[in-house]
Amino acid sequence: MRLLLLCGLGLTLQAASIQLERDAARKDVFVLRGVAASAAAEGFSVRVDAAGDVPALSGSYERTSEGIRFRPKYPLQGGMKYKATWQVPGAPLLEARFTVPKVEVTSTARVERIYPSAGVLPSNQLKLYIHFSAPMSRGEAWRRIHLVEDGGKEVMLPFLEIEEELWDPSQTRLTVLFDPGRIKRGLVPHNEAGPALLEGRTYHLVVDRAWPDSKGAALTREFRKTFQVRTADRTPPTLGGWKIHPPAAGTRVPLRVDVPEPMDAALLQRLLWVIDGEGKTLAGDVALQADETRWVFTPDAPWRAGVHQLRAGMTLEDLAGNRIDRKFDVDSFEKVEMRLTVKTRDVPFTIPAATATPR
Amino acid sequence: MKKLALTVICIGVLALALASAASMSSSLKAGKAELQTAGQLAFGPEGVLFVADPKQAVVFALDTGDSKPGQQAADVPGINEKLAAVLGIAADQLMINDMAINPVSKKAYFSVSRGKGADAAAAILRVDAKGKIEELSLDGIKHSKVALPNAPADVKNSRGQSPRQEAITDLAFIDGKVIVAGLSNEEFASNLRVLPFPFASADKGTSIEIFHGAHGRFETNAPIRTFVTYNINNKPHVLAAYTCTPLVKFPLSDLTPGKKVMGSTIAELGNRNRPLDMIVYSKGGTDYILLNNSSRGVMKLSAKGLDKYESITKQTEPAGVPYETLAQYKGVDHLDKVDNNTGAMLVRGDGGALNLKQFQLP
Repeated sequence: MRLLLLCGLGLTLQAASIQLERDAARKDVFVLRGVAASAAAEGFSVRVDAAGDVPALSGSYERTSEGIRFRPKYPLQGGMKYKATWQVPGAPLLEARFTVPKVEVTSTARVERIYPSAGVLPSNQLKLYIHFSAPMSRGEAWRRIHLVEDGGKEVMLPFLEIEEELWDPSQTRLTVLFDPGRIKRGLVPHNEAGPALLEGRTYHLVVDRAWPDSKGAALTREFRKTFQVRTADRTPPTLGGWKIHPPAAGTRVPLRVDVPEPMDAALLQRLLWVIDGEGKTLAGDVALQADETRWVFTPDAPWRAGVHQLRAGMTLEDLAGNRIDRKFDVDSFEKVEMRLTVKTRDVPFTIPAATATPR
Repeated sequence: MKKLALTVICIGVLALALASAASMSSSLKAGKAELQTAGQLAFGPEGVLFVADPKQAVVFALDTGDSKPGQQAADVPGINEKLAAVLGIAADQLMINDMAINPVSKKAYFSVSRGKGADAAAAILRVDAKGKIEELSLDGIKHSKVALPNAPADVKNSRGQSPRQEAITDLAFIDGKVIVAGLSNEEFASNLRVLPFPFASADKGTSIEIFHGAHGRFETNAPIRTFVTYNINNKPHVLAAYTCTPLVKFPLSDLTPGKKVMGSTIAELGNRNRPLDMIVYSKGGTDYILLNNSSRGVMKLSAKGLDKYESITKQTEPAGVPYETLAQYKGVDHLDKVDNNTGAMLVRGDGGALNLKQFQLP
C-alpha cells in the first residue's frame, strides 16, 4: 500500500471535526468527532470536491463512541480532492477538504512483440496479436494503433474497432482484427472501401508511446512493425505438407513440426497436441519459431519409443483466417456442446528406439 | 442492453414470462455477487438484471429489487462525471460498458469499470426520475450465475492464465432464455448461445453457432455486434447486426441444439461502420427498429413486412430493408427503450462529457 500523505484542512467548529485516517486494515476512513451521540449519520457525507451537484461517495456509515465513521467502498484515488461535510438543521455547516497525493508512476511497459512475426503478410491478413510487457489500460486501443502506408499516409479504419477490446485476462495481449467487412469478398464494405492492405505495398504498424499502462504511465517507447503485403491467401491449409521431425526415445529433445505456411500464433500454440501410444496427451512446453512455421514441443518426460499422434484442432487458422480444409469465406454448421469440443485430426509419427552409443 | 420487446412479443409470451416470474426470483439466492467485470446488460421480468462478466465468462442474474412501476430517469448532463464521483474517481478513469432501462421502474442502469487496468472494479449504478444516482450493492443481493461454454484452454502463459477470453457483445432475455452473443480473442467465429433461465447447472446447457449466408456465393461467420428479438408473422425472430453491418434475421425457434441455423441477410447498412445498439418499438400501428451506429448515426427502419424482404444474395449497395438516417441524433454511445413513446440515450457532449437524455421515439 502506498503511504497516504494527507493535506488535511480539517476545520474545527464547536469541537466538531472531520479527519481522514487509516483503520487497522489500512483502509481509508473519514471520522466525524465531537457531535451529539444522537446525531443522525445522514448529515455526514463525503464527495469528490468538484463544482456543481456532485453525488456522495459510495460507502458505509458506522456509529461509534467517538462519532460517525464513513468508510468509502473503494480506495481513494491519488491526485483527487475530496470534501467531507456535516450538515444538520440548526447547526453551522462543517466542511473539510482533503487532497490525496498523486502517486508518480514511471514508464516501464513496452510492446514485446507482435504476431505474426513475418515481414510479409497476405493482403487478407485477419488478426494481429500485440504483446505488452505489463498490463495495459483499456479504452485506448483504437487511437493508439495506426496503420501507415510507406509514404506516411495513415490507412483509415483498417481494424474492427470493437469497444470491448479483445484483451487476454491479464491485459498484456491485445487481439486486433482487420475489419472483416473489408476482407470478405461480396460484402458492401469490401466493395466500397476496398481492402485495408494492398498487394505489393509496404506498411508500418505503429503503436503510440502515449498508450498508458494500467498504472497510467506511458510506454517506454513507440513500437513499429514494418511489413510488405503479398497476394491474398484464399487457400485453406492442409495437414498434408506438415513435416514431423521425431527425436530419439529416451531423450527430452524437442519434437519439431514444420508447417508450409505461417499459422495464427495463438491457435498454433493452443491447438496442437502430442498423443502417446496409450492415448494420453503428453505434457510439455510449446514454442513457436521461424515466423510461426515451426512448432517445437519439449516433453516434460523423456520420449518413449513407438507410434505417437500429432493431434491438430481443425479450428487452426492461417494468417488469413482460413481453417484446415475450410476457406475463411465459407462456413459450415456445427453443433456446439456446453464444453466446446474441438474437432481434431491425427497425424501418426514414430519415435525411434534409442540407439546404443558406442563408448 | 436489451430489453423485453414487450410490445412486439405476443401476449402469450408475455403471459408466460410473467407466470414464470415466481420461479425466477425463487431461483436466486442471497449472497455476494462476485462480478469481476460488468459488461452487457439485459433486463428480464420483475427487475431481474442479467449482467455479462466476460472476464469470468459468466452471466449473472441479479435481483435488483426494483420492480415497482415508476417514471423515466431524469436527463443528467455529465452522467459519466457523476457516476465516477460516486465511485470516488475522476471521469477519465471510468468506463461505461453498457446502459439498460428497467422496463418496469424506468430507471437507467449502467455497468461500469472503475479504472482501466486489469484490476478495475466492476460496478452497477442506477439513476432514478429525480436524477439520484445509487450504486447497486452486490453484497447480499439475490442472484445466480451460469458459466458460458468455453473452448478448452490447455495453454497457460507465464502468469498461469489462459490467454483465451471471450468478449460478450450483446445480451437479451426472451421467453425464459438468455441469449448471448460473443467474440473470441483467438478463433474468428460467430457464437450465439442460448441459456435457459432459471440457470441450469453449467453442464446442461447448449450453445449454437449461427452463420448468416448468401453474399453472392460467399458466407461469413463474422461476429454479431448487437441484436434484438422481434416478432415476424407472430413468430419470434432474432434480428442481428453483424460487425460488418449486414442485418440478418433468423427464427428464435431455430436456436435448437443440433439444428443447423441459416440466417437471411435482409439489409446492408454501409461501410466503415459498426452497429452499436438496436431497439424495437411500435408507433401508429407500425413497428420500427432504431439502430445506432459508430459512424452512420442512428438509423430508423420500418419493421413492417420484414418477412417480405428476400435475402440479399448478390453484391449490393446498402440495400434491402429501407432506412432513414436521423440527423438529429449524433454522438450516441448507447441507446435503449423506455417505453413505446420514449427512448434513452447516452450522448457524447463537449469536453468528454456524456449526457443521459430521454427522447421521443421518432
